[in-house]
Amino acid sequence: MNLERLPNEEKLTLCRKYYFGNVYNVCVWGFAFLPFLWLVNVVWFFKEAFVKPTYTEQLQIKTYVKCSGLGFLLWVAVLTTWITIFQHFRAEWGEVGDYLSFTIPLGIP
Amino acid sequence: MTGRGPGTIIGFPHKRKLVTSIKLFLFFCLSDVSCNSVAQKIYVELNNTVPCVRLLNATHQIGCQSSISGDTGVIHVLESEADLEWPLSKGPNPPYMVLLESSLFTKSIMMKMKNASSRVAGVVVVPKTSPPEFSPHTTCPNENTGVYTETYDHNLAHCNTTVWNPRGNGLSYEEFDFPVFSLKEDNETEVIKQCYFDHNRVVNGSGLQYPLCAMQLFSHMHAVTDTATCMRRSSMDFSTSPVMVCDPLGGYNVCAFIRPYNSTAFGHKENESVVIAAARLDSKAFFLEDSTGAEGSVSGFVTLLAAAQALCEATQEAPRTRNILFAFFHGEVFDYIGSSRMVYDMKNNMFVIDLDNVHSILEIGQVAVRSGTNLFLHSDPVSRRNNTVHDEVTNLVKNLQSSTAGLNFSFVETDFSQPLPPSSFQRFLRARAIPGIVLADHQTDFNNRYYESFYDNAAHLNLTYPSNLSPEEQLEFVTDTAKSLTEVATAVARTLFKQAGGNNSQVNKINADPKTVTQMLYGFLVRSNNSWFQVLGSSLRCVFCLSEPNPPQYYVGVAKSSHQANALTYLVQYLLANLTGTATNLTQSQCKKPDELPNESTYLYSYLWVQGMVPPNSTQRESFCVRTAVRLVKAVSPAFDLGDYVSKEYSTWTKSQWKFIKARIFLVASRDLEMLTLGVGVAVLFTSLLVTYFVSTKADVLFSSVREPNNAAY
Repeated sequence: MNLERLPNEEKLTLCRKYYFGNVYNVCVWGFAFLPFLWLVNVVWFFKEAFVKPTYTEQLQIKTYVKCSGLGFLLWVAVLTTWITIFQHFRAEWGEVGDYLSFTIPLGIP
Repeated sequence: MTGRGPGTIIGFPHKRKLVTSIKLFLFFCLSDVSCNSVAQKIYVELNNTVPCVRLLNATHQIGCQSSISGDTGVIHVLESEADLEWPLSKGPNPPYMVLLESSLFTKSIMMKMKNASSRVAGVVVVPKTSPPEFSPHTTCPNENTGVYTETYDHNLAHCNTTVWNPRGNGLSYEEFDFPVFSLKEDNETEVIKQCYFDHNRVVNGSGLQYPLCAMQLFSHMHAVTDTATCMRRSSMDFSTSPVMVCDPLGGYNVCAFIRPYNSTAFGHKENESVVIAAARLDSKAFFLEDSTGAEGSVSGFVTLLAAAQALCEATQEAPRTRNILFAFFHGEVFDYIGSSRMVYDMKNNMFVIDLDNVHSILEIGQVAVRSGTNLFLHSDPVSRRNNTVHDEVTNLVKNLQSSTAGLNFSFVETDFSQPLPPSSFQRFLRARAIPGIVLADHQTDFNNRYYESFYDNAAHLNLTYPSNLSPEEQLEFVTDTAKSLTEVATAVARTLFKQAGGNNSQVNKINADPKTVTQMLYGFLVRSNNSWFQVLGSSLRCVFCLSEPNPPQYYVGVAKSSHQANALTYLVQYLLANLTGTATNLTQSQCKKPDELPNESTYLYSYLWVQGMVPPNSTQRESFCVRTAVRLVKAVSPAFDLGDYVSKEYSTWTKSQWKFIKARIFLVASRDLEMLTLGVGVAVLFTSLLVTYFVSTKADVLFSSVREPNNAAY
């Protein structure tokens, strides 16, 4: 989808959709994939928000892009912390670690 | 032209070439020329290897583990213990794959390699001549699951008074994080040594030239930590199929009553008194599949089999006051799996008799390596403090000693304060103070210099046959060992007869058959694919159709959920059936369903179809149906039924599963050459990308002079 060809109102609608996560009008899995949708928002609309010359909807697009970026960074921080703790301590947690795992590696504790 | 489109005229010769090349390719692939011949030129696969695997129990993991993609190391043939410096510190190309001869396979060398495991990729053992003594088992076998605990008697626990296996170095119970393999065949060892001498030898102390000969061993084990962890991981339900990572050890005990009971009626039998004659079936070694156990287990159960035969011939007519149970326990080396199971079944009314019915126990331990003309009678001092038990034991000793009249040896009681050696009887004592005796050829510690090791084989028992005999003649030749074991079997049979209340005047007619004993020793220790075992064996289960002449494996193996026992159990079952049962006239279909016949009962007996002999004038075997009281009783540790995987009471041994185990040798290049090749490849990739980029940007300049031939020939 080429953003060049869209009129500005549609760009704003699209950015809002990606921010709230209800692409295709399905709210349910919007929230689950929010970090990825936010990343898509930031990357795709970055040029539109900060590089292109000003137009009416650009201010709103800028807010959405900034909020998406912040939310994405927060998610990355939380996930990285949890993943590091889990990978480090899973062997020591014994039974709890096994019950939390989806696949357990063979042959190593 | 007939009006075909332009594409077909231009494409037609190319299409024909393509089809021809496809045909040629398929021809070569589907014919004998293998498509991956490059791999065959690089690797030499080693086929006859025995790995060391990982076993787990309630608290530990023992054995060896390799990494998931195999461990590769430069081969180094160890010449002496001092030579260990080369792989451990001096050698310039770590990691090393150390090749040892059996004389160097000692605990000190293995522990040094274990401590330097970053430089050792693996160990390969080449068994050659037997060392003077070697026992990888612990010094106090089964010390925590016998009867001598702190509460039973503080002084006798943990082998405080007698250390049974003083030569034990505990190597089997160590944990190694590199693979250890044993080579079986000589041809492969020669290939490896040739490769080593060609490429890896140090010349004049200077450095080695690449390429070097390397070996890669794959034996990645799935289970870790202990039994509780691996059983938990095996039983977790994921959306994808659960992966079993370990299996409990176990097998089947072989049991036969002289006077059989209804096999569906469990629990106490009123007014029945049973004498149990017990022996152990299994043994182990550092490399589990290589276990032989000649003195450790074979001597005991062969004696008991011969005694069963002698007794059954004599007791056809005479009534007895007590019944006799011949019990062959499996899995005893791994914390008494078989006997603990039987005691558990008896206590919980899951066996045809219970502990109240047991009058006394006579167990045959290691009896083949005598240091004089005496065999020793071991008893338990703690239970003998009770006067009833003491009187019964004294009576049993008297029966034993009087039964050696006319034989070339005698029974001597051991010191009263000495505990029992490791034996199945200890598990019965743990439940109840039952009078009993363990027969052994050692007075204090074991005479067996190779307890639970690979060297406890026919040579250890001095089973020597004159060299000019064919295998069939060797089968029939009565060795000295067979003669001495026959005498022990005679004494045991007479004792059991007396113990069961038989008439004393009939006793001296009971004699074991030396021919049976020597045939059994030959079959179990030298060559099991012999004519006698084939006659007695089953045509249904081809476990006797062993392609190699080697004896069956004695290690208990994994408890299979299908009702399949291992080869040793079937051999003992069919032997006992043939020696103590009666041949009948039933046909094969009747043998499978004998209940339809009026005189036969599957409650009391089991019916086995035996292959039989080939009569001289025909090629078909004369098979027949044997009616016998022999049954196979499941021998899996009660800990697995109870779900108590940290049990201190019962055996919790499991064996890890694995995907594949293999070994191969190949020539390996230096690291620098590998990096150089990789670097050149990456450079070529980037160069080609750059060239393509430039060519595509300047395409109009480069290709403008060439005009497309656009002849409209149509």
